[in-house]
Amino acid sequence: MRRTAPIIIATLICVLLISMAAAVALGPSGIAFGSLLTSDNAWMILWEIRLPRVIAAALVGCGLAVAGTAMQALFRNPMADPYIIGTSSGGALGATLAIVFFAGTGRTVLAFAGAMIATFTVYFIARRGGKIPVETLLLSGVALATLLSALLSFLMYTAGKSLHQIMFWLMGGFWNISWNDVVVALPILIGGAGIYLFARDLNILALNEEDATHLGVNVERAKQILLALSAFVTGIAVAVAGSIGFIGLITPHVMRLIVGPDHRFLFPAAALAGAILLVWADALTRTFTSDMPVGILTACFGAPFFIYLLRSRMKA
Amino acid sequence: MKPIEITDIDVSYGAKKILEAITFHADAGEILGIVGPNGSGKTTLLKAMTRIVARDNGEIRLDDRDLDSLGHRELARRVAVVPQDISIGFDYSVRDVVMMGRHPYIGRFASETARDVEICDHAMHLANVAALAGASVHDISGGERQRVLIARALAQEPTILLLDEATSNLDVSHQVEILNIIRDLAGEITVVSVFHDLNLAAYYCDRLLLLKDRKVYAAGAPGAVLTRENIREIFGMEMLVKPHPLTGKPYVLPVYMHQSSAGANRRVHVVCGGGTGSDILHLLHAAGFTVTCGVLNVLDTDYGTAMHLGLPCVAEPPFHGITPESLSGLRKCLESADAVIVTAMPIGKGNLDNLRVLLDYPAKPVLFYARDHSTRMEDCTGGEAGAVLANLEARGALRVEGAEELLARLSRDGSDRD
Repeated sequence: MRRTAPIIIATLICVLLISMAAAVALGPSGIAFGSLLTSDNAWMILWEIRLPRVIAAALVGCGLAVAGTAMQALFRNPMADPYIIGTSSGGALGATLAIVFFAGTGRTVLAFAGAMIATFTVYFIARRGGKIPVETLLLSGVALATLLSALLSFLMYTAGKSLHQIMFWLMGGFWNISWNDVVVALPILIGGAGIYLFARDLNILALNEEDATHLGVNVERAKQILLALSAFVTGIAVAVAGSIGFIGLITPHVMRLIVGPDHRFLFPAAALAGAILLVWADALTRTFTSDMPVGILTACFGAPFFIYLLRSRMKA
Repeated sequence: MKPIEITDIDVSYGAKKILEAITFHADAGEILGIVGPNGSGKTTLLKAMTRIVARDNGEIRLDDRDLDSLGHRELARRVAVVPQDISIGFDYSVRDVVMMGRHPYIGRFASETARDVEICDHAMHLANVAALAGASVHDISGGERQRVLIARALAQEPTILLLDEATSNLDVSHQVEILNIIRDLAGEITVVSVFHDLNLAAYYCDRLLLLKDRKVYAAGAPGAVLTRENIREIFGMEMLVKPHPLTGKPYVLPVYMHQSSAGANRRVHVVCGGGTGSDILHLLHAAGFTVTCGVLNVLDTDYGTAMHLGLPCVAEPPFHGITPESLSGLRKCLESADAVIVTAMPIGKGNLDNLRVLLDYPAKPVLFYARDHSTRMEDCTGGEAGAVLANLEARGALRVEGAEELLARLSRDGSDRD
């Protein structure tokens, strides 16, 4: 462990609190601090619109970063992200079904169900003799995602008027977030805490699976639990905000450089950094664009970063 | 109670049998080496002992407990494994990696205690990596990384240590360093190690298990297992097995035999001694010549070479002059030989008759062979030998230098005669 890690985590906690406060204050309708006491309208915007939205963004960012960290260690591949085993395409299909057939009712539930069903389908395709080889799991994820996106394209092709709504949802964002959505997003913390309990196992799993077995890790059971928890956390994130790319890929990476590879520190650091990133990304898009989907912004910054990572790994 | 008792286990990958009817045990505190050719199932046997691969049947008992009754963590507290050099993807420090050895002792909701730190420190000290504790595993050498993995294994406080060719990718100096550490640990810990290098196995192991075609071919002390016959049978290749000149343990040397038929149907006799003839005895034999040699005394290196190659050799007991019986044996060899080779050996009273007898065969082609220009025949007889040599040269004996020239000359003589 690096001795600086606890200090960095403490700093990140402060930065997150400040960021959330700032994000609540920011917005297209400028609200003067003084008007809060006098204007019911201002109070409503702050309490009913901005605050739940900021909290939801923080929770989703936190969940994506934690699930991404777990996936990267589990797959021993720093290019892995939380969507890698079909979670996002399943969620997207579920949400689209809700939009097309039920005019958006039950979108959250269907998105979550879609994400979980897709993940477990991938899991059972890849499973052989009680074991899930990592390579097969990745390839099954790619294969299923392709199939699901074909179905999605078909739905969009037949969607007619609701196409715009589907597109918006697919790009990911935090419109119309209410306190209800925050309640839906809260279990992310439970899932994240569950993943954190496996921090030491993941440190060892990051070496290789055989070695981990020799050190007393029940590898297959750890994989099952971690996949289930990651899918749960990611599924909620997708259900609340659509598939927001690159947070789950980049945050673990950057934090690994800063606090080191020990997952006991990496998880909290990545969780906080993911939350900070998404709070700011959302605050900026809703303040300076007319509420452009935040997924566009994260992709704009995330993709070049991904290419940079790829290039520097090719050099090494 | 033996620390390891394995009874009649079979292992297969799908339909393919990897191990069949393996039965063996390890005694407490010994180093048991597993040797055998590639694909004989050595590594699989280790993997079966830690349940990385499942066995079809048979029983494995570790410390008198059935392997199947041990939980993951219980097993890791008894058995530690040092793998071949593994790549460590993330930037852990040496101490981080060694501390992973404490994993089977630390509960999910607990963190490491002062005692865990103490045990890690001790393990790093034993494996001679204490000075590297803070270094990144990316910044240390392969030999150091291997010692870190040994420290990690020791941090598990195992009673059984398994090594899977743990030194195969290292320089010989690092191999020896690491195996010395292991040797020091044996006694308290029972060690089972897969070896690729037979000589390291012979030196460091108390007993060897030799695998062939999925089965145990031989087991026992290195000297009893690494016999010439066993090695020929297992590796399908000739090897010399000699006691190591310093350790007395069996030492295996491959016989590099590049067969040719240049000398087919031709006989040569080699007069040599003191190791000056070993190279060409081997060479001529490999080239297909029918080779005889002598007279040699039985302590001579060249005699040993002739015996290893299975060449007929006229021999005397040590410190003995050449007897009339030997001399007539030599004459028989000379009579049937197409050519005679005399190597650049020291000539004393004891072996002068080997040369003198050549004067009786004036028609035999004689070649004085020297390995290179710096080797000369050494006259230890005060001129007597020099006179015989001069006489032989006057009759047409030729000096040749180097093995290539010798072979060229022999084949030219053959074609002249035809």
